[in-house]
Amino acid sequence: MRLGSIVMIVLLLVLIGAGTVQTKSLHISANTPETALQSFFAQVKAKHWDDAFAMVQPGSGVEKESFIKDLGGNNESLKTISALQDVKTKILRESGNESDLRADLQWSTAVGALHESRDFKLVNDEGQWKIVWTPPAKNDGPPKPLPTTYLRWDVVQRGSSRDEWGVQNVEPPRMRIISMNAIEYQGGVTILGEVVNEDTVPGFVTINAILLDKDGNSIAEESSFDKISHTLLPKEISPFRVDFANRKLADVKSVRISPTNILVPAAADPVVGVFNQRIEKDPNGKSILRGELVTQGGQTVNIPHVLATFYDQSGKVIWVSDGYVDKALLPQQAVPFAVDLRDDLAGQVQNYRITVNYYNSNRS
Amino acid sequence: MPLAAIALLALAVHGPLLLMQLPAVSTGGSAQIFLAQHYSQSWFNPWNEKWFAGFSQTSYPPLTQQWVALISRVMSLTAAYMVVQLFAVILLALGAFRFARLWVDERSASFAAIGSIFLGSLSMLVYQSGQLPATAATALALHGVSYLYGWSRSAKVLSLIKGFLLLIAAATADHVTALFGIILFAIPAVVLAITDRNDSESSERTSSAAVLIRAAVMVGLVAISATIVLAPFWSSFLSPQQQIPLPDGSRDNLLLNFSSAVRYWLIPMGAIVLALPYLFISGLAERRLRPLFFAFYVAMVLGLGGTTPVARVVLGRFYESFSMDRFTFWATLLALPLLGELATRLIERYSVKATIALAVAAVLTFSIPLAYVTAHPPSTNPFRTEPIANFLNRDNHDRFRYLTLGFGSQFAELATRANASTVDGDPSVARVLPEVAGFGAAHFDMARNYGSAGMESLRAVLKHASQYGLKFIFVRDRYYEPLLAFAGWRQIESYENGNVTLWSKEDVPPLKKIEPVNPISWFERMTWGLVPMLCSILAITLMIFFPERRRVMAEPIPFPSAETQAHRMQEAR
Repeated sequence: MRLGSIVMIVLLLVLIGAGTVQTKSLHISANTPETALQSFFAQVKAKHWDDAFAMVQPGSGVEKESFIKDLGGNNESLKTISALQDVKTKILRESGNESDLRADLQWSTAVGALHESRDFKLVNDEGQWKIVWTPPAKNDGPPKPLPTTYLRWDVVQRGSSRDEWGVQNVEPPRMRIISMNAIEYQGGVTILGEVVNEDTVPGFVTINAILLDKDGNSIAEESSFDKISHTLLPKEISPFRVDFANRKLADVKSVRISPTNILVPAAADPVVGVFNQRIEKDPNGKSILRGELVTQGGQTVNIPHVLATFYDQSGKVIWVSDGYVDKALLPQQAVPFAVDLRDDLAGQVQNYRITVNYYNSNRS
Repeated sequence: MPLAAIALLALAVHGPLLLMQLPAVSTGGSAQIFLAQHYSQSWFNPWNEKWFAGFSQTSYPPLTQQWVALISRVMSLTAAYMVVQLFAVILLALGAFRFARLWVDERSASFAAIGSIFLGSLSMLVYQSGQLPATAATALALHGVSYLYGWSRSAKVLSLIKGFLLLIAAATADHVTALFGIILFAIPAVVLAITDRNDSESSERTSSAAVLIRAAVMVGLVAISATIVLAPFWSSFLSPQQQIPLPDGSRDNLLLNFSSAVRYWLIPMGAIVLALPYLFISGLAERRLRPLFFAFYVAMVLGLGGTTPVARVVLGRFYESFSMDRFTFWATLLALPLLGELATRLIERYSVKATIALAVAAVLTFSIPLAYVTAHPPSTNPFRTEPIANFLNRDNHDRFRYLTLGFGSQFAELATRANASTVDGDPSVARVLPEVAGFGAAHFDMARNYGSAGMESLRAVLKHASQYGLKFIFVRDRYYEPLLAFAGWRQIESYENGNVTLWSKEDVPPLKKIEPVNPISWFERMTWGLVPMLCSILAITLMIFFPERRRVMAEPIPFPSAETQAHRMQEAR
């Protein structure tokens, strides 16, 4: 029965070999530009920075530290809490020893899925395709922290008991919805608008919307979720957007909007400035609102969130879109951002306004 | 070696560890305790409101949870879990003896039973994974399959009854054992019954067809009964709803991932790795042992997970639903009769040296997994859940639902302590909320581990916080804080020196109770509540009070025959 034993062992080895070949096929070699880029991102996905950097064409200005910061993030930015989920590559141009490729990257982040499109140039270096890494644009000098003299509001609790948390014995700040628009989009209903804090103290606001049918019955209920800047300083305006999937505007008789607001402590710092705003087309031909963010105070902003309100000729809100910026804002250093704009509305947009919301890891 | 001694050895080895309640912090132990708590409060009503905003416990076979619930009448739930686990380990050792006895002589079977107590795969399942249902179901299946052999070969009605009850009990303890484990043990036993059909002292000849028919009758009865008893379970288990695959090391290619190879193969196999050449040679050498070897081979290949394509092909859509480590567990159990025989041969040949070597190998095989569990605890930096449960249990906070993020195995511990309900739950007993149906079942507590799909499903449920009365979110992993902050939650409290923070939303109304989805009939409630327990109690009672006569295998008489009277020495004159 030795033969039988040998057969069983050989069969086991064949099965293991088949399994390993199957797995290895995912770790593709770098003998074509496309497979080289796929292989590069497989290393990035596994956070094998040394192996990924080894696939980069050595050259001036390419430093491993900045390479890792570019792909892995730093300063507790959104990139630092992201993982590469999926990569799709496309050849744009191929000529001899050079190729231009586009990579559509899908990142799984702490705030949901993020998409990124990046173009890469690859060169053939002795049979192996290498990536020509473009170092991120360097800001001039180190961050410049500034002393801040912005206002800050604190809430002084009445009494010493902390058991009654969440129950405030003060009037909530006055908030008012200054515009509202209901539209149908992608098989659903979307409620757009703006809310203003009319009080002299900061407030924390959430917008809930209920769709009502012709009999006054509730059809669906949704909230603004992250399509709003929740903390509003006195006189500050925030756009909001509430999405109802799989609803028809024709079935809706009215919309009940209920803003919930409470008094919260807040500070005017950091103030984030928005510069060089412009609407343009991205390489895929989609309309994009681009610009740069600069924090004016001395604080670092870890995760900026950009809300864009688009107005038509009559000043009506026709769309609200948002986007997270995967780089942290260091004091006085400009960071680019881009927010989608619906192509069908691009022609109608007469004006737009950017609101910057943010999360700081040391805030809580 | 008498069975009592084997049971005592199992008690001596596992008793102290279970008395220390090591499985309480295992990956799945606390979830089992949580499910048992519901049976202890409401035996015949499977609708449990504390997970998934309400779900039916018929989504998981009930036997072991019901035993824990029953014993918890006289002690705490955790202690009851340990008692049932200890009983399962003892039953497993006795089952290993009974199963091995089909294949090898009594001495080798005794060594096999001793080996089962020290299995690395058993240690990992009990102390790392908290797989009480799998260990208990396997123990019951080992006994049941032995009776299947007895019934198929000799048509003993008592064997039919005992085997039937034991296999029903096994199926109602763990569905994976019911679907795959019983088959792996039953097929070689039936083939052996065909081989052995005419070996008995009886002059009556039995045909292979008769043996097969008897086996089919018993297996058919078990399949029909298990289908009826577990009817509510199968409907949810076989529904097209999928789980989002969670990365699991047991499905890695073990050749390419050393840490997975250590965790899921080398440690569970232990010293058996050294005996693999013997298993291949000896398992195929004797015709009678070949079915056992082939079953071991199949289980071992399946246990290799993604190292070979076999598991993915054979298990199909179930491949990503459960961990492959239980196949390695079954492979080690199937190897035990051959290993028992090896131990007998070694001890006969090398006596004390072999005994010492085998004892050291057994102890190392058992203790290395325990060292691994200590070095890689399922819950890193465990924390006290009492303050959080106290918060939820006071001032009507249970009028709202809660969610935990990053609690790991302590998620179920909190659910057991708290009266409040959560929208989350263990995905192995998944009820998918309508909001996340497009993504598949996921455990929100570890949403980040599922990648984009997990985070999107978490976003989807947070968007409907008001509909679910989801007001409180306890965060132990700061990864989730940006999402909560942007979505309108505010941090209001911290626990355990800031290790856990509580986030709240102001505008959330109190929860509305969700009516049971697909409520089960009165008959189903009765069968679900009574049959698993009755089958297990009856089977064990019959095993104790109507034991099988021990099979004495014909042994060769040495030639020339030994003299019965000793030589008398005469005094020299």
